[in-house]
Amino acid sequence: MATAEVSVLVDRGSTWTKASVVGQTRGRWRITAHAAQPSSWGDDDLLEALVRRLEPAADQRLAGRLRGLLADAPRISCHTPSRAGRLAVASLTGELSGAAARSAAEGAGWVVQEAVAPDDGRGIAERLAVLQRAPVDAWLLAGGFDDARSDQALELAGLVRAARDGTTAPVIWAGSQLMAAEVAACFEPGACTAVANPLPAPDIEHGATLRRHLEAMLEALLEPGGVRALTPFGFRRAVAELSRSQRLRILAVDLGARYASWVLADGDGSAEGWVQASGGIATSPHGGGSSAARIVRWLPVAADELTVRDALETYRARPVTLPYTDDELAILHAAVRGVLTAHRPALPPGGIDLLIGGGRTIAAAPTPAQAMQLLVDGVRPTGAFQVAIDPTGVLGPLGSLADGEIGEGMAELRDDLLTPLGAAVVCRGGRPGQPAMRVSVRRAGWPALPPIELRAGQVQVVELGPGQVAEVEIELDAEVSLGGPRGGRRLSATLTGGSVGLVLDARSTPPLVPRRSDDRRAVLGSWRDAFARETAPRASGTSESPR
Amino acid sequence: MSSRSGGRVLHRVLVPRGAMIATRVGAVLAPDQAIGHWDRPLPPIRIDAARQLRCRAADLPGLMVASAGVRVQDGAVLARAPSGREVVAPASGWALTASRDGSILFAPAGAAETIIAHVRGRVRAIEEGAVLVEVPGARLPGIAGSGTAVHGELMLAVSGPDDELRATAIDTAAAGKILVGGSRASAEALTRARAIGVSGIVLGGILDKELREFEAAGQRRRDAGGASDPFGLLLLEGFGKVGFDPLLFGWLSAQAGRMASLSGADRLLYVYDAPAAPVRRALPQVGERVIGCRRPFQGRTGVLVAILDDLHAAPNGVLTRMALVRQEEGRLVVAPLANLEAMGTPAGR
Repeated sequence: MATAEVSVLVDRGSTWTKASVVGQTRGRWRITAHAAQPSSWGDDDLLEALVRRLEPAADQRLAGRLRGLLADAPRISCHTPSRAGRLAVASLTGELSGAAARSAAEGAGWVVQEAVAPDDGRGIAERLAVLQRAPVDAWLLAGGFDDARSDQALELAGLVRAARDGTTAPVIWAGSQLMAAEVAACFEPGACTAVANPLPAPDIEHGATLRRHLEAMLEALLEPGGVRALTPFGFRRAVAELSRSQRLRILAVDLGARYASWVLADGDGSAEGWVQASGGIATSPHGGGSSAARIVRWLPVAADELTVRDALETYRARPVTLPYTDDELAILHAAVRGVLTAHRPALPPGGIDLLIGGGRTIAAAPTPAQAMQLLVDGVRPTGAFQVAIDPTGVLGPLGSLADGEIGEGMAELRDDLLTPLGAAVVCRGGRPGQPAMRVSVRRAGWPALPPIELRAGQVQVVELGPGQVAEVEIELDAEVSLGGPRGGRRLSATLTGGSVGLVLDARSTPPLVPRRSDDRRAVLGSWRDAFARETAPRASGTSESPR
Repeated sequence: MSSRSGGRVLHRVLVPRGAMIATRVGAVLAPDQAIGHWDRPLPPIRIDAARQLRCRAADLPGLMVASAGVRVQDGAVLARAPSGREVVAPASGWALTASRDGSILFAPAGAAETIIAHVRGRVRAIEEGAVLVEVPGARLPGIAGSGTAVHGELMLAVSGPDDELRATAIDTAAAGKILVGGSRASAEALTRARAIGVSGIVLGGILDKELREFEAAGQRRRDAGGASDPFGLLLLEGFGKVGFDPLLFGWLSAQAGRMASLSGADRLLYVYDAPAAPVRRALPQVGERVIGCRRPFQGRTGVLVAILDDLHAAPNGVLTRMALVRQEEGRLVVAPLANLEAMGTPAGR
């Protein structure tokens, strides 16, 4: 951490820049001011905004000197990559090897410009033509299980070599290992690298090695000097450090206009990351007008598909702008939910301890309840877990510190890093309308609540303030699961509250909604309202305030 | 922030890999000038090479002379047997692979497709996959686009910035022109324009649904083997019914009759020999004319009266810096500063 009295943490996004002033208050480092504004407004205005936030609270002896202090303060910065790596994928099948290769590439920060496969409905000539036109930085070939040999793989290699036409973009073979040497021989020496097959056998999918290889290639292409200063990688490093220091299994998402970064950290310091250059709200097809019909289904307000399409496409064209009306915000949030659901990674069987949401749409949602609902509805992990947001966007800049400094920096800012929204217990399964789980909540210093019975399809929020701890006993119906080992019908958890409280969620995954639009909107509206207020039954004859 | 420069700007004309570039650095290009050609691959044929070489099918890969995927000329040797027998390319094209069934998969190169510059200017550089052209004129960036690169004379098709472009307003006089439409054009108007031979249309707004329907109709026609007339569309303001920025509409009106190039994929319009277009700038200042970029003030213009201190909540609760705008009709509205752009002439505000 910088030794000066003041430091500035900056996350320069593709559309918005977030900046936080870190200063010493009573001997401790705290975030003392924060500003977020369009990146196009420039550094001067950002500095002015920080000064304006700082002035009311700053020592009056510093009046008039704040701007100079901030301008000279050490900066810890990260930024969204200026451009994404462009890839063409050629595979033996579109749905098997093609999908696995594409998934690995898109999780490593590449944008797939063109994907071809013999089963894509196009002839060889057309496939060759589209590949010749595709502007790419690298080529990815995939197909065949590891023990399979196929002439089609060589045909694929010939097709890509024809499309490359003597250019030098690297080629990756991520298919049958039996074919690796033959495929590599189709290219000039050193051009083709074989990487572990993401689909080595019919029932095994393992894209992590390919994803890491592609990520390393992308780093060399975009930031040869190191990727620490790139926000997606900084975010990952910070989450990994948080997971290591707190020994928590964390799932974190930083959802921006262009990029989405997902991190799954297992508590021992190792973290899997997915950097999606087309996973942002303005770039993901799941957030666009083509998904309008699906998005309309998740709107608690009446809006026709035409309105939704135009609102979404305007946002995609001008992602720096902000929704102004309730309807526009509802449309944006429904799109965010769709994007989160589409890109969330598979979770380990043990579930997670903490879910973190970053990016302005989530972390700067107008109310904490909206942020909580976006995360719980969009990511939908099952189990009992804490939920928090990164409201100032400091995880990215802190993760850009050198290895030896991240832990120190995050420890110093521990009280300001995340804003706890509370906790959630999310189950899956159950028959509509039938009891799903019975939850007993014991809060230290509060009168005991009667057990809360939730029927499948219900969601309820119990008051549990920031820092307040509750012992939660959960009794599950026979057809309901929390994602843990089978047969575990009684579970207990210690959960800590936040600005929203404790969410008890017995909706299915994905939540079932009525087909009739009026009924559907009524149900969606009731869920929205449930997140926005505490609805736990009061213990009879007692006041709902702490003793 | 919009860049609407006059003078000279650089434009990249993308060319497929394998295309033959027929221009050179320093050459002066006209919009309809060919800068090269590209041999589109034809459906491949299978050459029974093992039979011609009189070898075992499995031996064919070892007898190949031509490397897989490398372009060869008509008559070039593809494979040669120890006996001296040869298999030659039946045409110029690509030998994609030698299969163990004894055949060579060969994709002949089709008739050369001409690559048109579609912009006027001087070639500054020839790069891998692109020709860089210095264009004399004003560049107008849009927020969305569709279709191919086209060029034509700029022609006004509506009388005011808020007018809709109606199908009935498009007649044969518009053939070959780039039309300046209005706040919206229906799929019917777009279809009629393309059928008449209009080169392109510049619009303030369009309904996303109508744009998609128009694009889908074009795709269906191409899939059915129909002619694919070049047609480009550029959207300047937003989706929905959104009027033009009046300053910009006035500028476009003044440029009617000038030659222009429109690239839907690049979301750009070039107007040749034109003065710089009105500028748009983020972070407007008090006293400047502004235009709204998002509902409910999208396309509405006014004067920025004040920027409110500190953060304020929009009606939906989003906290942000807000600004007071006196709209043209005199109404005072509060809008997020991020949703406003300053409008002005390039020389001053």
